[in-house]
Amino acid sequence: MSDPFRRGGLVARTARLAIPLVAAALGLAALNGALGAPEDEVKIAFIAYENPDQLLEDVKPVVAYLEQKMGRKLKYFVATDYAGVVEALRGGAADAAFMGPLQYVLARDQAGAEPVLGEVYAGKASYVSRIFVRKDSGITGPEGLRGKNIAFVDPISSSGYLYPLDIFKRAGLVPGKDEAERFFKKIYFAGGDEQAIRAVLNRFVDAAGVGQFAHNLLRPEERAEVVSIAESTPIPSHCLVVRKSLDPGLVAALCDALLALQDGPDKGLLENLYGVDGYVRVTHADYEGVEKLAREYGFLSGK
Amino acid sequence: MFRSRRGALLVLGGAAYLAISAYHVATTHAHVIPPEKLHRVAESYRRSSFVLNLNPILWDLVRKDCEPIAQALEKVDPVAAAAWREEVRSVIAGITAPPKEGEAAPGPNERKRAARAVFESSTRAVARILSWHLERTGKALPEIATAHTASREAGQIWAAFELEIRSTDPTAFRALGTRWLEMATALGSPGIARIGAVPVDVPAFRAAADAIAAYIAATYGPGYSAPERGALAPLPLRSPTFDPEASVPVRLPPGSDINKQVPRPRQILNLVARGVDESETALIAVGDMGFDSAFVFGEPARSLQISCNTCHNKSITNPIFVIPGLSARPGGMDVSNGFFASHANNGHFDPLDIPDLRGIRFTGPYGRNGRSASLRDFTRNVIVNEFNGPEPDPVLLDGMVAYQMEFDFLPNPALGADGRLSEKAPEAARRGETIFQRPFAGLAGRSCASCHVPSTHFLDRQSHDIGSGAGAEPHSRDGAFDTPTLLGIKHTPPYFHDGSQPTIRSVVEWFDRTATLGLSANERDDLTAYVETVGDGVDAREDTPYYLDSELEEFGFFLSAYEFLVGKGKPELMNVTFETIAGEIRNHMWELRDPQHQPVMEQMAGLMDEALAANRCGDRAAVDAKVAAWRNLYAENVDVLK
Repeated sequence: MSDPFRRGGLVARTARLAIPLVAAALGLAALNGALGAPEDEVKIAFIAYENPDQLLEDVKPVVAYLEQKMGRKLKYFVATDYAGVVEALRGGAADAAFMGPLQYVLARDQAGAEPVLGEVYAGKASYVSRIFVRKDSGITGPEGLRGKNIAFVDPISSSGYLYPLDIFKRAGLVPGKDEAERFFKKIYFAGGDEQAIRAVLNRFVDAAGVGQFAHNLLRPEERAEVVSIAESTPIPSHCLVVRKSLDPGLVAALCDALLALQDGPDKGLLENLYGVDGYVRVTHADYEGVEKLAREYGFLSGK
Repeated sequence: MFRSRRGALLVLGGAAYLAISAYHVATTHAHVIPPEKLHRVAESYRRSSFVLNLNPILWDLVRKDCEPIAQALEKVDPVAAAAWREEVRSVIAGITAPPKEGEAAPGPNERKRAARAVFESSTRAVARILSWHLERTGKALPEIATAHTASREAGQIWAAFELEIRSTDPTAFRALGTRWLEMATALGSPGIARIGAVPVDVPAFRAAADAIAAYIAATYGPGYSAPERGALAPLPLRSPTFDPEASVPVRLPPGSDINKQVPRPRQILNLVARGVDESETALIAVGDMGFDSAFVFGEPARSLQISCNTCHNKSITNPIFVIPGLSARPGGMDVSNGFFASHANNGHFDPLDIPDLRGIRFTGPYGRNGRSASLRDFTRNVIVNEFNGPEPDPVLLDGMVAYQMEFDFLPNPALGADGRLSEKAPEAARRGETIFQRPFAGLAGRSCASCHVPSTHFLDRQSHDIGSGAGAEPHSRDGAFDTPTLLGIKHTPPYFHDGSQPTIRSVVEWFDRTATLGLSANERDDLTAYVETVGDGVDAREDTPYYLDSELEEFGFFLSAYEFLVGKGKPELMNVTFETIAGEIRNHMWELRDPQHQPVMEQMAGLMDEALAANRCGDRAAVDAKVAAWRNLYAENVDVLK
């Protein structure tokens, strides 16, 4: 999995996003002291993109806040494997989980999960991908990249592949994923947003398809050397999803508690929750674009 | 307009904290896609290499930075790691051991030999570690996720050598950069729960990984030697495409931070406080420009975009500023070190805390040891002999002095004009005032007020040795420091000439202990309250984390001196003005809250470039036109450029 929209809470400033999940460790790393009847507990999964032990520490005060606000006990775990979380949602071992847009779409497909809250970063519940080229390349639009090299981030990244490639599809240049190899001379997957945008800065490739914030990873004097020539449709942000048939009252209580953070005295806890600004209510409709793309790229069974 | 932006602002409060956290999110939304971490090995190697090129070398720092390299090497080859540790330990022990009776201390040649030995050995160690991580990537297959993690780690270690390869071996840099991309691509993808998985292309992976490994082994492997001349740096000397004429851009070591503190301290210029129209203060405008200009300094400060304002942010201090090897702690630096001005090194590590320049016209003499009665001489010395600048034009120097003469202390309602507490001062401070004026036997019958004279800005224009500095030898008489003012100090920790005291309370406790003042706990509290009250002031910080509009206004102020410089026949100072404004616009462009206005800022920077070019050709009419165009463009867009 590679989704660069994620920060890792208190290690946010150095957290790396675009790393694959380690398949082996489901990472049921620790449980809180759960009191009360098990069926009253709310079970939440947090996916760690790096350093599960750190995230485990980071979410403790958040859980304490939620317990107090909701008047219920919480059970939580940090996972490093997406598949395990989906299984947990399907089987009821997890009631809710934070995950990225593509992960949600797959969780819906495989376990009937529903999104309830979207994260807000820098005032927005979405962001975009961009195609960057060097300013001195003379390339002004996607069509100028025919027969050229491009670096994306990862084949399973929304902002680092699906959405940037969609820019070429919408421009009528690449009908589908398979035709991409005929349009470009060579496609690379750099493994990270910074690697991809530096590859274009350093002239290893002619273009990079990355999340918009990759540009800010360059030094100020470097930023002036690259320019964006196209932008994707908005990518909805990471979300809180809940399992099918979860009690609506419980869903409401959880959402209300999280929504109360951004304007209240406990706003600082948001730093522990992947460093978001706050949340907005979302529904599946907000993720239909992701679902459509995921289907086009063969991530979903056709329906 | 200029006045209002620099006028009285609200005290930092809850709203400001929220605004600041919003600002930090706004700037760190860049980290929503976070930067690649510098690997511990690369970080330690780059930092220790930087320190090994200094004089003096902080061998403790080098020793500390060798540890992560040794630990990484242990995973590769424990026997080699043990031998490497012993080699480094032995070299450092040899160079740092006190000389035996009758023997001279190690001189420059011994120091350089030791530095070279550690550097070469570290370079070979890092090369070996990098190669091992490349091998490990291959060995992780067919576990794609694990291989990606290993490959990523290898890429982070590669950063140890990347700058030098990019600068001096661009052919290899481009080829190897492509190999790294090929390697990452060839590793495929584990998919999400195996959906979307892409298999490994093993031959492509091998070809790319082997090519990188071959370059590392050939260039930095066994037999590697550092350059004979110049700095110790991992130049790829053995690469067939190495360009010996190419230079490597200067970089500060990992752990450096020359950013400015947020929120910004509030600068008070006397002329602004009096409501003067700055468009009629050309000399001060020249000085403001010079104070904020990296072009007043020489290399390497100029390339690093360091100006007076970097350390004396808004004429105050910068508690964030730190450069490992040159700073003992954040907020200061050894300015008599050869890094910034190789000719003016005094050869020993004597870092100084950055002093607050508020009220500087009242706080002479200048320099932590009070060496210079003249602010003009002092400023010139900083430019030429601390930061390697060219001899400053007399008009520039006059301007910088005139500008500094406008720096004011914070207003303090708790103090009267004679330095005594007013009725607004809290009770504890009043009790503290009495203690401050009490003679102590431990101070040879003097009081705190004897040196920190309340009626003369809490200083006495003398240098005293209070025992806060280590002497050159026993019974040295070289530890006297100029009595600093206490005005404004609540907002400018740390304290003492070297910043060794973190709080005002710790200073009080230091004096109580060192001079055996015999204060009770309550008295220490009261004395602390007094000094904090004296050191306080109204609106010490600006209440907004957004400064772009204020910065642009300042650039307009810089440009307001243009006609004056024409009249004085100072084309070189016009050049400095244009270059400074262009550079600063480009630095600040990324702070625009609405990036759709970036093209306007690029245009403004471009107009300054054109003014510079025209000025160099002596085309006065063209320069006049560019300056007018800049002013018009700014005026048309002033409401959106924030």
